[in-house]
Amino acid sequence: MSDILAVQLGSLRLANPIITASGTFGYGVEYADFMDVSRLGGISVKGISLEPRVGNPPPRVCETPGGMLNSIGLANIGYDAFVDRTMPVLRQMGATVIVNIYGTSHDEFAQLARRFDTVEGVAALEVNISCPNVKEGGIHFGVSGKSASGVTRAVREVTSLPVIVKLSPEALDLPDIGKAVQDAGADAISMINTFRGMSIDVETRKPRLGAVMGGLSGPAIRPLAVRMVYQVYQAVNIPIIGMGGIACLRDVLEFFLAGASAVQVGTANFTDPTIAVKIVDELEEYCVARGIRPADLVGKVEVGEAK
Amino acid sequence: MDYFKTRITRMEIPARDHAILRFSGDRPVDGEPGQFVMVRGNWGAHPILPRAFSLVEVGKEGAILVRNVGEGTNLLASMEQGDELLVLGPLGRGFSLPSETGGGVALVAGGVGVAPLVFLAQRLADKGIKPVFLYGARTGDDLPLRDQIGGICDLTITTEDGSVGEKGLVTAPLERFLQTNPTASVFSCGPEAMLEAVARVSVEAGARCQVALESPMACGMGTCKGCAILDAAGEYRYVCTDGPAFESVEIFGREP
Repeated sequence: MSDILAVQLGSLRLANPIITASGTFGYGVEYADFMDVSRLGGISVKGISLEPRVGNPPPRVCETPGGMLNSIGLANIGYDAFVDRTMPVLRQMGATVIVNIYGTSHDEFAQLARRFDTVEGVAALEVNISCPNVKEGGIHFGVSGKSASGVTRAVREVTSLPVIVKLSPEALDLPDIGKAVQDAGADAISMINTFRGMSIDVETRKPRLGAVMGGLSGPAIRPLAVRMVYQVYQAVNIPIIGMGGIACLRDVLEFFLAGASAVQVGTANFTDPTIAVKIVDELEEYCVARGIRPADLVGKVEVGEAK
Repeated sequence: MDYFKTRITRMEIPARDHAILRFSGDRPVDGEPGQFVMVRGNWGAHPILPRAFSLVEVGKEGAILVRNVGEGTNLLASMEQGDELLVLGPLGRGFSLPSETGGGVALVAGGVGVAPLVFLAQRLADKGIKPVFLYGARTGDDLPLRDQIGGICDLTITTEDGSVGEKGLVTAPLERFLQTNPTASVFSCGPEAMLEAVARVSVEAGARCQVALESPMACGMGTCKGCAILDAAGEYRYVCTDGPAFESVEIFGREP
């Protein structure tokens, strides 16, 4: 593959701008039987905490119009198992690994960042201050500029890895949060995480998720995400990694035009586990045919003058 | 595990609100009894998630049994010969086949849970083993695949309304069978309440029982962590990778 798709996100260089979103592509190693995950711009792995987490009561997923709700609760194998067992496989596969980290305090985030700093093969950290499915940490860090900037700074101070901060759509003022994490030293912003939603079985009168509420993802949220990327792009100077219901090349281009420099593909990985690699091919064809690079499209929506 | 494109080769309506989909692609459909596939038609954006089905047949053609319960299954059940079906599989851990079957084998199905047990019955027949097959349903209209069972198993049907076979629950003939075959191997798939009852009477009799479970899931391959269930020890297990087939004591414990 030529380097026409290469993107620079602060100090992070990716061979292409298509990343699989955290929580929708496991640790990446599961897919080796039928696809070459080294062809992805990056894999944002399932959120890693210091200790393993078992997750929330079932049911944890349900389908909704144009999307799905999940209340997984950051079930994960924890730092040690990930570094000892999964990272060697990812290195061997040649994957570009973005480690999504989750902590319940500034100190836990800092500990994770410090420990990952020296792990071979980690391309960047994605700081999850936006999970709607955990009682502590998660979204609570992501809803105000002060707390978002505190976590970002705690991570920034202890790592030389590129730091991406993943924002919640439930923040009161997203451009304000974007500026706050930029000022605290983030290299890039990824946005957006899921919206809290709820679905009720009208026969049983019970919530369809064991945790009652969960995070809504999929095409249903795409216009909301595009709007938010567009707004934050006006407010910050650091690159944005856009996501929210991306399922095909058209959707990727839409996020570029709104202001994203790269994108993450999430729920669509469940529809077709090879979709992200297919989009890489389609994007390359698109760019080659037009003699352009992804960066040429970033923020280029033509809004025009108000009449 | 593989992800590949197939086409529908044959559609069959074996019972009201059910469909058997047969499909084939450029490679054989692989799998063991109790394993499953995630499938999706080429129907555009909605529904976005594939659906999980136990394999009924493997080989040049694969087969699944679909019960129409909602949008996704209705779309699958209305597919036609030649339509595209995308298949991810084989997935999960199937039944563990007993090395020794002197104590007898009972396959206990509830409704659409018959699917993996028909596959298992075929595998046992290939080994020269003829199990008893106890098949329970609500009514005589809810007995898909029954025609594929009689030749290779000793079939007993129970229906709750008594319209076909014995009136009552499938646990009644199971208890009778276990009185004379207390060390049998029991394999079961069906609604959870039925599985719990089958597990209880099997374990009480001293038989080994395996159950195949279902759960809503998004990925089918262990990455989304959506299909968690609580096991007898209070730990979460994942239906897609730890199962779908489990030893019944792992899930329901030993105590009645």
